[in-house]
Amino acid sequence: MRKTVLDFWLIFRVLIFPGFTFVLFLTLFCDWVERKIEARMQNRVGPAVAGPAGILQPLADLIKLFTKEEIIPSNAKKNVFRIAPIVAFSIMVFAMCFLPIDGSSAISSSGFVGDLIFVMALVTVANFLLFISGWASSSPYGAIGAARVLTQFLGYDIPLFLLALTPAFLAKELTLSAIVSSQYIPFIILAPWGFVLFIITLQAELEKDPFDIPHAESELVGGLETEYGGGKLAFLHLTRDVQIVLGASLVVTFFLGGPNGPVFFGLSGFWYSLWFVLKLLAIVVITEYITCLFARLRIDQVLTANWRILLPLSILSLALTITMTTWVYPSVT
Amino acid sequence: MTQVNEASLISTLLDRIGGLGCIQPNYLGKATIQVNADSIRKIIEILLKSDNTAVIVAITGLDLLEKLGLMYHLRTHGSIVTVRTEVPKDNPRISTITDLIPGANFHEREVADLLGVVFQGHPNLARLVLPDDWPKNLYPLRKDADLQEVTAKLDSCLCSTQPEIEQKQAQKETGLVNIVVGPQHPALLEPEKFSLTVDGETVKVVEPRIGYVHRGIEKASEQRTYLQDIYLVERICGICNSCHAVAFAGAVEKILKTEVPTRAKYIRTIILELNRLHSHLLVLGHAGLEIGYETLFQYMWRDREPIMDLTELLTGNRVVSSSMTVGGVRRDLKEADVPKIKTQLDILKKKLVFYQSLFQNETSLKMRTQKVGFLSTEDALKLCVVGPVPRASGVNTDVRKDEPYEAYGEIPFRTVTRTEGDTYARLMVRLDELNESINIIEYALDNMPTGPFRVRVPRIVTAGEAINRVEAPRGELFHYVKSNGTAYPERVKVRTPTFANLPAFLKTAIGESIADIPANFVSLDPCFSCTDR
Repeated sequence: MRKTVLDFWLIFRVLIFPGFTFVLFLTLFCDWVERKIEARMQNRVGPAVAGPAGILQPLADLIKLFTKEEIIPSNAKKNVFRIAPIVAFSIMVFAMCFLPIDGSSAISSSGFVGDLIFVMALVTVANFLLFISGWASSSPYGAIGAARVLTQFLGYDIPLFLLALTPAFLAKELTLSAIVSSQYIPFIILAPWGFVLFIITLQAELEKDPFDIPHAESELVGGLETEYGGGKLAFLHLTRDVQIVLGASLVVTFFLGGPNGPVFFGLSGFWYSLWFVLKLLAIVVITEYITCLFARLRIDQVLTANWRILLPLSILSLALTITMTTWVYPSVT
Repeated sequence: MTQVNEASLISTLLDRIGGLGCIQPNYLGKATIQVNADSIRKIIEILLKSDNTAVIVAITGLDLLEKLGLMYHLRTHGSIVTVRTEVPKDNPRISTITDLIPGANFHEREVADLLGVVFQGHPNLARLVLPDDWPKNLYPLRKDADLQEVTAKLDSCLCSTQPEIEQKQAQKETGLVNIVVGPQHPALLEPEKFSLTVDGETVKVVEPRIGYVHRGIEKASEQRTYLQDIYLVERICGICNSCHAVAFAGAVEKILKTEVPTRAKYIRTIILELNRLHSHLLVLGHAGLEIGYETLFQYMWRDREPIMDLTELLTGNRVVSSSMTVGGVRRDLKEADVPKIKTQLDILKKKLVFYQSLFQNETSLKMRTQKVGFLSTEDALKLCVVGPVPRASGVNTDVRKDEPYEAYGEIPFRTVTRTEGDTYARLMVRLDELNESINIIEYALDNMPTGPFRVRVPRIVTAGEAINRVEAPRGELFHYVKSNGTAYPERVKVRTPTFANLPAFLKTAIGESIADIPANFVSLDPCFSCTDR
């Protein structure tokens, strides 16, 4: 009797809250926030028709794409072409399930030792799947777009990982929930250098300006999504949007104390999720702001920036973090 | 460019060409030299040697019934010298001048396409404007071409796929990736095709193909009256529509020897500069889009709107103004509108200060445009490019200064030049020209003369021919009109700025990263609606 209740609770958490459904709607909401902010920054109105202030526009776009005819190019690698976007999306959502959105993660309440590394590995795999999906379309635009995803990814993946270790060293833990619970003082205060570098690297990871090389539509038509349409394109779009939410969630978890915040009354889960989402929105606003301010760099300029500037800086940042945690912070925390 | 007075130019010409041809001063430019087809290379060589800034502006082909006429319009010392020759119709052969001046390449190909003149020694006389499967002996601009046959053929040529198949085979052999930009592509808003052969991210070969939207306006204008033609040539290009109208009307006025009232000249100048303002704002915003700077694009296009509104205020139309006519303009400027125009221009002027600082200080923008698409001064002259493109490479050329038309002779302004020769310089030249344009409009409004705004002209134009040049936003625009004494022109030739500027892109794109192609390309301000007349 007790076992079935537990199972139901787990299914509810994975499928409804804070799992799949919640993540899906959070993603659509973040998409709307991004579009609205970008529009306001550019002196436009942005989505305005579907729902109040156009809030339902991302959902409408999604539904529209799913109703469209699906075309598979005759020389594409059909099975990979079909499956890769869905798998990439699933992996992103799966990674979200390990983040402590309402105080504990969706799958297991306390996580397991090393789930930080597991989540970072999932991000890598999902990016690789995006590359596969572009390559499978057998179109020159898709192939070049996919090659660019991979080239850029090689450049920022190492810095991103090094910077993700910053909170691990500060908390002396590799478990996400432990990192969150040890942030009495948010790590952004203890290691602001790590936060700034992480945001910049994240910009590359999320393929946003000035690093949105893989989707340079003026050169590559649609990049890796050129040949995609219908539901598969919807999944590619969703993957990118979930990626943005995931990236922002990582920042929130690593540097902003995750769901930590005051609980006023009632369910603590509600308040935790609220704080988490608010912090996440702040990060989304920051990344969108950066996007609007810059032009797109060239792939060689991005690689130079990654290898010559970002990588040494992230190593320095890690060294600084280790120095601080060893000699300065023990007396503070 | 140094101005030489007429007499000395003609006497030097006489000295140089000796007995090769006879000179007709003040005809089709500063002078027309009539030569034999055999000595065309010698004459062109002499003209090019006598002035190191000499370029070829256009090659006009004419059907003279028994013979085909060819006119080489050269720009030397800032004004036009025409070399004219004739070849027999049944065996139209003449030696090429592309090796003397590479900028003649496309001009010769166009004449070969439309009139069937064979330029011997030309590196590549492949089709340029006509479809690839166009019949061999059908030349649309010849007078004996059957119109019905031409239209029927056009319809059946629309779905040719032959060149694509050939390209795919070539690609397999070389192993390099072939990327086709166009005819439909997000970077090009108009249907043209550039097939780029890339090695990794580096461009190795660029093959252009234009003509997808060729409307045969040169031919169509022969079937319409001069008055109808103004509205037809205006539709060659939506952006610089007034420039085409003024260039055509000006040529007809030259044949008629009509003096346009001064007030009309000033109003024309204002409309032409409004054209330049909105065209430059458009291309600067478009450049932002091509380098992934969407915010810049949105801002620039937002600020372009008031200029369109001003055009509407002045002419009644937002885009194609239809305000020019032979002998003046169709609508007078209302005194009540002057303050409105000035207020809008003041607002734009303040915004330009912001854009100036943005272009000078924004690192990511400079990283994408500086040292991209470098065009040296020598290449700019050799390839005969026009407008802001050579001005960014240090060539001081501007029709408004060299041969002032309309009211430009009376209005003080500065020709903007830069020396870097890259994409950034080409954009900056346009940005600085915006300021000059505003000053020109303000001066014209302040010094607007009173009097009539048009004179009546006869519908039937006396026999004669004339050329006219206008500095369109994209560069020098060239019109040639020949009248045969009826209400319909015998021949209208339009050489648009983009047609002359294309070789610059083909030259600078080689060896560049594929990511630089859009920015480099858009810095020429390409307009294919113009290129495909």
